[in-house]
Amino acid sequence: MCSVTKEQIYNELRKIIDPEVGFNLVEMGLIYDVKIDDECNVKVTMTLSTKACPMHQMIVQWVKDAPKQIDEVNEVEVNLVWEPEWNISMAEESVKKALGAI
Amino acid sequence: MFNISKDFAPPFKMIEPFFKFGSIIYVVAIFLLLLFDSTKSLEDFTIVGWAHLFLLGFVMITIFGAMAQLVPVVLEVGHYNVDLYNRIYKALSIGSIVMVIGFWFFPILLPIGGALVLFSMATFLYETLMTLKKTKANTLTVKSVKYGNYFLTVAIVIGFIMALAIGMGFNVAIDRLLPIHVVLVLFGYVTVTIIGLSMVLLPMFGLAHGYDDTNVEIAFKILVASVIAYSLFKFIGVNFLANSALFGVALAIIFYFKQLVILYQIRARKILDIWYQHIYVAFISLAASLLFGLFGYFFGWSNSLKSALWLFTLGFFAFIINGHLLKIIPFLVWFERFSPLVGKKKVPMLHEMLPNRDTNFSFWFSLAGLTFGAFGLLIGSDSLFKGGVTLFGFGAIFMLKSVIFILNYSEEDYV
Repeated sequence: MCSVTKEQIYNELRKIIDPEVGFNLVEMGLIYDVKIDDECNVKVTMTLSTKACPMHQMIVQWVKDAPKQIDEVNEVEVNLVWEPEWNISMAEESVKKALGAI
Repeated sequence: MFNISKDFAPPFKMIEPFFKFGSIIYVVAIFLLLLFDSTKSLEDFTIVGWAHLFLLGFVMITIFGAMAQLVPVVLEVGHYNVDLYNRIYKALSIGSIVMVIGFWFFPILLPIGGALVLFSMATFLYETLMTLKKTKANTLTVKSVKYGNYFLTVAIVIGFIMALAIGMGFNVAIDRLLPIHVVLVLFGYVTVTIIGLSMVLLPMFGLAHGYDDTNVEIAFKILVASVIAYSLFKFIGVNFLANSALFGVALAIIFYFKQLVILYQIRARKILDIWYQHIYVAFISLAASLLFGLFGYFFGWSNSLKSALWLFTLGFFAFIINGHLLKIIPFLVWFERFSPLVGKKKVPMLHEMLPNRDTNFSFWFSLAGLTFGAFGLLIGSDSLFKGGVTLFGFGAIFMLKSVIFILNYSEEDYV
């Protein structure tokens, strides 16, 4: 049985900041789901704010590496999806405020 | 820790010279305007020489440098052979200077400069078209890169024929070829490319999603059809139909504006940063140049046409290019110097790499210069125009200073 929690994974993912917008991936609402199996393999389902993101490969690599900062985590799989398409309503209120969206 | 492919970001050292050269020529070109009499005809050889210095030495070289970064981003595939950009830079930088010297002092040099520019652009076209072959996407942006490059091919062949004719002293119908060359470059390449790329960059930086892009699709089709129609009718000498095609260009720009308004309304990022400021001025200048251009055409007022051209080149082109340089260069520097440090050290955000005081000075001096220059040309006041040019020149110096600061940004600057 794996003792790693979703919360721990999200905390690691919160350390990944998009240098263009200055917010972390979780508060931007780019992380759609995190699944952890009994062997502590982690599957992160995420999107990006645009398909044309020049940091596409880099961000995916960061997401792959971040959960491994927790010793118990084995393999990390990143499932990059474009549906549902990201929009600002998925971001946390603090992000919307900072961007001037509300 | 981070083994990232460089497919989506070209080697920094390869692209850096494009931006340095472009920014230096930008300053030189602006101050050279002080030597010209603004009441002269636009077909005067010294002005044609200046136009080539500005368009080749600043606009094209900066666009090509930016395309090294943007082509893989918008096409979603890596470059066919990014190393070709070394040759593109060398041939275009030397070729543009040789051409300008040819226009101003020694016409015999024109074919040599023209051949270098032709080589550079042909290499760019080859690299871009081979990269295009790798993509399966068929978005508006992909189509704009394709059509922009087809137009550029025809434009540079015509340009080279004219350079040969002037340099070697044989006759070609320059009165027909020159306007076709100008329309193909300004509307066929630069405007088509800007429209296409803007449909990726504006939503990306403005965080605009889920919009209807019908208007820009219509704008693109009308613009492409109008450029083709103008070139054909002008070539066979049917001037009335050729001029009518220019109204198609104006109509295309109106549809493009409708699309911009939609993007503006739905954008999530509403903070007025230095990029937004440049974009606002660029599009307001485009709208003003359209109005002045139509006014000048209908009422035969050459001052209005000159002012339209000033707003189109120094307002639309320069501001949209400089605004995006303040996004693209920090990214390239960050990618090169800071991305390997992510997870190990605190790294700067892209906006923190901008020298805010200098970028603000650049923006406000340039805006003041643009405004005074446009009014100077409109009312035929050479001294007001020169005052505008001087202010614009200060803006260009601060832009160069900003570009150098960002290019040299290192860990020591980020405390």
